[in-house]
This record gives sequence, structure tokens and C-alpha cells, in this order.
Amino acid sequence: QEPSDDSGATGVGSTEEVVRYEYHVLFSSSYQVPVLYFRACFLDGRPLTLDEIWGSVHASYQARLQEGPWDTITQQEHPILGQPFFVLHPCRTNEFMSAVLHGSQEHHRHTNYIVLWLSTVGPVVGLNLPLSYAKLAPEQSTDADLS
Amino acid sequence: HYPIGLLFDLHASNTALPWSITVHFKNFPEKDLLHCHSKDVIEAHFMACIKEADALKHKSQVINEMQKKDHKQLWMGLQNDKFEQFWAINRKLMEYPPEDNGFRYIPFRIYQATTERPFIQKLFRPIASGGQLHTLGDLLKDVCPSAITPEDGEQKTQVMIHGIEPMLETPIQWLSEHMSYPDNFLHIGIIPRPTD
Repeated sequence: QEPSDDSGATGVGSTEEVVRYEYHVLFSSSYQVPVLYFRACFLDGRPLTLDEIWGSVHASYQARLQEGPWDTITQQEHPILGQPFFVLHPCRTNEFMSAVLHGSQEHHRHTNYIVLWLSTVGPVVGLNLPLSYAKLAPEQSTDADLS
Repeated sequence: HYPIGLLFDLHASNTALPWSITVHFKNFPEKDLLHCHSKDVIEAHFMACIKEADALKHKSQVINEMQKKDHKQLWMGLQNDKFEQFWAINRKLMEYPPEDNGFRYIPFRIYQATTERPFIQKLFRPIASGGQLHTLGDLLKDVCPSAITPEDGEQKTQVMIHGIEPMLETPIQWLSEHMSYPDNFLHIGIIPRPTD
């Protein structure tokens, strides 16, 4: 493999650094939706700062992030572990999920809420769901519950 | 990263004043505490709490109907210690439709210094199906029964909000309207009762 050209490098710093991400999915009883919690560190254990996290958000979402960074990714206490995690704000989840689920229901397609939700929000923060998740057979997935 | 009054209730309420604290300027524990690098970060946390509280109380209707400048006024009122400025907006967050007798759910968190879990937060309705007002005692019985179940007939714990022990018969709706912290949450401390 050829060494990569630094001028084309994006993300944190000019040297390639490995970042370790940890993702948790929790259910928010306040918003009645799943919420994506995550944290990231370099291999030496140094956690990424909020600025570095914002910088690593996928290019397609940067515009939305600049519009309202505080509405999108914030740092909060994990409700069970008690440690700081970054959180993708859940207040818009219902909005975009109803739109997608409505379409699926009209076409009588089986939907797995979590797969739908995670494949939408995950990529914003580096979590790309393999397509195999979406190919779950109908018996293996549950009908979405729009409550 | 908890409100200072809550920290006092949890860790120093039964000790002699003044409260001695140690302030560190180096080696911020990034893995354990939320690091607020600027006032903007604190504002973001505050607004996130306000929004979550309104999601519980009003399905976010009141907060979403407000303009950005109202959100800003709420924060500036708090930051600059301007009671009237703060309450001009906050009073709307404390209202409810005349046909209801209270909020949809009560925003609260219960903290116990002795447990692993950082806090307890669950859905709890202020009004029972029959229309009766739920009390602080009802809330505790539902989400944290060990706090009020006396062992050997003796109450081993104190239930504290803003440094006082409200009567367990107090309606939780009233407590939410009048004793919430500025972030619109009731932060309740369960601490061991001093034996003297």
C-alpha cells in the first residue's frame, strides 16, 4: 500500500491516528425513543474533545451541525455508568422516524425500528451498519410499533 | 457536574458550616466529569435539561412554541441572577392546560451517595387515574421504596430537596412547580439520617 498523502487527510490532526469508538444504545423514557451514546479515545487513552468530535462528523452532516451544534451532539452523563458520553440529541428522532415508518407501513414492508433508526443516526458519528442488518428475514424482524 | 446545592445536600448537609472544599486546577478528570470549557457548554447543558423537562411535562409543546430569544432570556436571566427576567419565561414552563390538573410527567432525579447508580429517573404521573394528586411519598414508594421503608420502625434516611425535608404528604405537582431547580428538574437527595 502506498503511504497516504497528508494533504488529502481529513479528521483529527495531520498524522493518521487510530480512534477507538464505543457506542451504547439506550432508551430514553423522557423522549420515548432510542438514543445513541458514544465516546472516543486515541489509543493512548486520551479522550477526544467535543471540538474533535464535531470535526469528525461526516461531511454530509457538517452543515446541519454548524447550524445548531448544541442541538446535535452534546456531552452528558451516562445514566447507568455515570461517566461522560457524547450523545446524539434525541429530540428530532420521532420526526424522522415517523416519516420513514409511515412509508414502510404503506407498502406493508416489515420494519425493524432499531435497524432503521441506527442506520440513520449511526453514520453521522462513524457507525456504519452493514447492509446485512437490513436483509433480516421478516420472521426475524418485528413490526414497527408506532405508539 | 451536579448543582452545587445538591452536592451539599448529598455530601455535607449534616456537617458544620462553612463547607470546606478543595479546588483543583490541573488534571481534570475527563473520564468522570463533564468538562465545561466555556459558558456556551454550560448553556447547552442547561438548555438540554430544560428541553428534557418540557418533554416530560408538556410533550415539548411549550418549549418548542418559544422563540430562540425566549430560550436565550431564560439562560441570561439565570446567568445574570435576574429573577424577573428568568421567571418571565420560566412561568410558561410551569403552566398546564386548564382541563388537566398538572403536568403529564414530573421531571425528577433521585440521588443516593451510597449507591452505584448515578441517579434514578423514571416516568411518574402527578395525578392518579382517579384524579387524586400523587405525593412525594407516592413517588418514593414507586421508584425508590428503600428510601422510606422504615427498618425496625426507624426512619434511617432523610429525603432532601434544597436542604430541607418536605413532608411526604406534599403533592408532587406542587413540588415540581415550586421547588424545581432552574433546570426545571426536582433533584432529590436521599441521605443517611444523622444519629445523635
